[in-house]
Amino acid sequence: MSELAVTAQVSLPPVLDLQAAEPLRAELMALRGRPMALDASQVTRLGGLCLQVLMSARKIWVEDGVCLTVDQPSSGFSEQLAAFGGPELQFQPEGGLS
Amino acid sequence: MDPFESIKQTFFQECDELLTDAEQGLLAMEAGDADGETINAVFRAVHSVKGGAGAFGLEDLIRFAHVFETVMDDLRSGKMELTDEVAKTLLRAIDVLADHVAAARDGGAVDEGRSAPILSEMKALIGGEGLDDDDLGGDEDFGFVPMTVAIEGDDAPAFDPPALDESPAAFEPMADLAAEPASGARVWRIGFAPKSEMYAKANESGLVLRELARLGEMDVKLDADALPPLDQLSAETAYLHWTVLLTTEADEATIREVFEFVEDDCVLTIEPADGQASPPPPSSDLSDDALAAASADAPLDIAALLARVAGEAPTSEAAREPASAPEPPADLDVAALIAKAQAPIAPAAPKVEAAPVAKAAPPAGSSQAITPTATIRVDLDRVDRLINAVGELVIQQAMLSQQVMESGLARSSNVALGLEDLELLTREIQDSVMAIRAQPVKSVFQRMPRLAREVADMTGKRVKLVMEGEGTEVDKTVIERLTDPITHMLRNAIDHGLEDPEGRIAAGKPAEGVVRLRALHRGGRIVIELQDDGRGINRPRVRGIAVERGLISEDAVLSDEEIDNLIFQPGFSTAETISDISGRGVGMDVVRRSIQGLGGRITISSEPGKGSKFTMSLPLTLAVLDGMVVTAAEQTLVAPLSAIIESLTPRAEDVHFVGGKDAVIRIRETFVPLIDVGVALGFRETALPPGQGVAVLVESEGGGKAALLVEAIQGQRQVVIKSLEANYQQIDGIAAATILGDGRVALILDVDALVTTQHRRKPAPRAEKRMAG
Repeated sequence: MSELAVTAQVSLPPVLDLQAAEPLRAELMALRGRPMALDASQVTRLGGLCLQVLMSARKIWVEDGVCLTVDQPSSGFSEQLAAFGGPELQFQPEGGLS
Repeated sequence: MDPFESIKQTFFQECDELLTDAEQGLLAMEAGDADGETINAVFRAVHSVKGGAGAFGLEDLIRFAHVFETVMDDLRSGKMELTDEVAKTLLRAIDVLADHVAAARDGGAVDEGRSAPILSEMKALIGGEGLDDDDLGGDEDFGFVPMTVAIEGDDAPAFDPPALDESPAAFEPMADLAAEPASGARVWRIGFAPKSEMYAKANESGLVLRELARLGEMDVKLDADALPPLDQLSAETAYLHWTVLLTTEADEATIREVFEFVEDDCVLTIEPADGQASPPPPSSDLSDDALAAASADAPLDIAALLARVAGEAPTSEAAREPASAPEPPADLDVAALIAKAQAPIAPAAPKVEAAPVAKAAPPAGSSQAITPTATIRVDLDRVDRLINAVGELVIQQAMLSQQVMESGLARSSNVALGLEDLELLTREIQDSVMAIRAQPVKSVFQRMPRLAREVADMTGKRVKLVMEGEGTEVDKTVIERLTDPITHMLRNAIDHGLEDPEGRIAAGKPAEGVVRLRALHRGGRIVIELQDDGRGINRPRVRGIAVERGLISEDAVLSDEEIDNLIFQPGFSTAETISDISGRGVGMDVVRRSIQGLGGRITISSEPGKGSKFTMSLPLTLAVLDGMVVTAAEQTLVAPLSAIIESLTPRAEDVHFVGGKDAVIRIRETFVPLIDVGVALGFRETALPPGQGVAVLVESEGGGKAALLVEAIQGQRQVVIKSLEANYQQIDGIAAATILGDGRVALILDVDALVTTQHRRKPAPRAEKRMAG
C-alpha cells in the first residue's frame, strides 16, 4: 500500500537543536508508514539530538519498507552531517517508488 | 522560565565570571607577572565564552571571541611575544568582549566604532592568519572556521554520505596515517559518548566534533547501536557516541580543551592510536551489547579499558608508550575479563567512575586540577525570606527569654539553661544565614579596572589601578549599593585627583598615576579606601569656591579637615569644565548621602602634592546590629555599638556650658560636646541636671567625638533592624527601629546625625580647642 500513499513533504526547520528534537520526533512519528521527503534546504544547524531523531526515523522507515529521502540539503546540513560521521539518513526500498 | 532561556541565563552568568577571570589574567600579563598558566587561563576563559556563544548561535560574539582566542593561542604557543602593547590591546579587547556579551544578553548591539578597531588591531597582531571574513562569516551555523573533515562527501553539498550500516571499514585510511604520521603529527583515538545532561545544558556534540576538526585531519565513526527506532525514542536522551581518529600536531591537553565544557557530561577517552589497537567503545554504559559489538570489531586496548572499568586513570604516559604496556593476548575473552572486573561494582558504576577519570589525570598546565567548590544558585528572594524569618526568630527568642526571667524562674533552672542554648543556637543560625548573603566585594571591584581604563583614555591620563582585598565579604545589599559611590569616587580620583602625565613628570612623579582601591574588615565594619597619588585637594581653591557659592562666610575659620569636607557639601563641584566623566551634577554630596544611607560614613584625608584618600566605613549587614540599649526620657533606645568608645558617669564639675547654653564635658583633659539625647530627640524640654545619668562617648563619621547623655544603660544586645522609612517615615536622629524582647519597639539612634546636628548648631572643634587651651 505504501507505494500508493502520497509522499509526505516535511520541511526541516533552520535550527535543529535541543528544542527542536521533540517536536521533530512527534512530527515524523505522525507520518509513519508514508513515504517521506525531508526538505533540508533551510537547515543551518543540525544538532546531535535531532540527528538521533532522523536516524531513528530511518530505522522505522526501513522496518516499514517505506521510502525516506532528504532533499536539497543545505551546505550547513551536509557539513554537520559529515562532521557527525556521515550517517545514512535516506532509505530507498528495492523496487519502491520514491 | 523557559528551560532553554534559563540555560542561556546561566551561560551569561558564567560569562561574567569568565570575563572577570580573563581580565585579571590580562592585568597580571600587563603587570608582567604572568606565567604560561595565566595565559592559558585567559585563553580558556575566552574559549569558553566562544564555545557557549556557539551553542546559542551568537554570531557577533563568536566572531570577536574567535579572533581574541587566536591571539591568546599565539601567545601561549610562543608564536607571539607578550609586549606591553599587546597586553594593552587585549585589555581593551576584553572590555569589548564584555560589551558583546552584554549585547547578546540584553539584545542590543555593540558599538562598531569601538569593536571594529580593536578587532582590526587583534587581526594585525596575528597577521590576519586564517581570519578572513569568509572564514569567520561563511560558517553561519556554529560560527567556527570550517576545517577539512576526512570523510567522504565532506566537500560536496551533494548529499552522499557513506551508509552507516557499512561504516566499520571507515578506519582504513587512518591505518596508513598511523603508520606514517606527518612530521610532528600524532594520531589520537578519541572516544566521545555524550550523556543526556550534555544536551540538556545546551551543549552540542556537533559543535564539539567540529571544534575537534579544527585541530587536524579526522576520521569520525558514529556508533548508533544503542539508538532505538523512532517509536521508542526519547527525543532528549543521548544514544549516539563517536570514535574519532584525529591526526594532529596538538597535544592531549589541547584536544582535551575541546571538551572543556562537556567533560562532566560525557564519557571521554583520549589516547594515542598506535595502529595496532582498535578503538574501545566510548559507550556511556559499557552495556553488553556495546562490549559485544566492540569485541566483534577487533581486540580492545585491554589495559586501558580495564583501568577505566576499575575507575583508575589511564595515565597518558602508559598509553603513549604501548611498548611498556603488557601486550594484550589477542585471543583474550575481553567481555569476560571486563565482566569480572566489573563484578563488585553496580552496572552503572563505570559511567560514574569514568567522568572523574578525566579530572583525576588532568593534562599538565591545566587549571582543571583545581576542583571547584560545589555551589548552587538561589533566588535572592528566598534568602531574604529566610533572613526575615530568622530575624523574627531572634526577636521571639529574646521575648521568650525575657518572659522566663520575669516569671521568676531560677537562672540555673532547666528552662533557663535550655533557653541559653537556644540563644546560642539562634545566634549561630543567624550568623550562618547572614553568611549566605555575604559576598566578596569582588563583584563591585571587578568593574573598576575597565572604568579606570576608560576614564584614563578620555582624560588622557595614565593610571594604574591597584586593588586589594577583593575577597572581603559584605552583605549583598551593601554590595549592590556600593557600586555607584565607588564608581563616582574612582572617576573623581582619576579626573580631578591625578595630574596629566606631563604635570606628573613636572612634579617629579612617574607619568603613570596610581589609584589604590582597598577593602578590609575593621571593627565589625567594612572599610573601603580609595587613594590616589595625585595633586591632593587644592584647599585655597576649595575654600574660594565655597565662599563663592555661599557655603561658608568669607571670614570663616576652618581647619584643613573642615575645608576638605566642604567637597561633600551639596552643589559643590571644583571641576572648572564639566567633563563627560565626572561633574555631571552628581557631586560628592550624593556619594556621602548614599554611604550614609547604608549606615556608613565617609572621610577624606588629603596632602597637597601627594594625593587624597577617601575612606568609607560601612556596616557588614543591614539586617542586624550590635547595640547598646539605653533609656532616655523613659524611652528605650539603641545606640550602635560600633560608634561607642566608652561610657562614664559624668561628674557635675566636668560639665561646662559654652555661651551658657551648649554643654561640653571634660573627658581626660579634652572637652567634647555633651548631647542630651532626650532633648535632642524632643522627648523632653529640659536637659538632665549636670552629674545625672550616664554619658556614652561616641565617635562620629568625621572622627569627631561627642558624649550622649542618657538616663541609664540597660545592656548590650544584638537587635534586628527594621526600617523606619519602610514602615513609617524618616526621622532625624533615628536610623531605624527594632523590636525588643518585651515586644516593644525601640528606636535605633543615628549617632552621626545627632553629632552633626550638634556641630551645625555650634562648631564643636573650636569650642573644644578653646576650652582645652
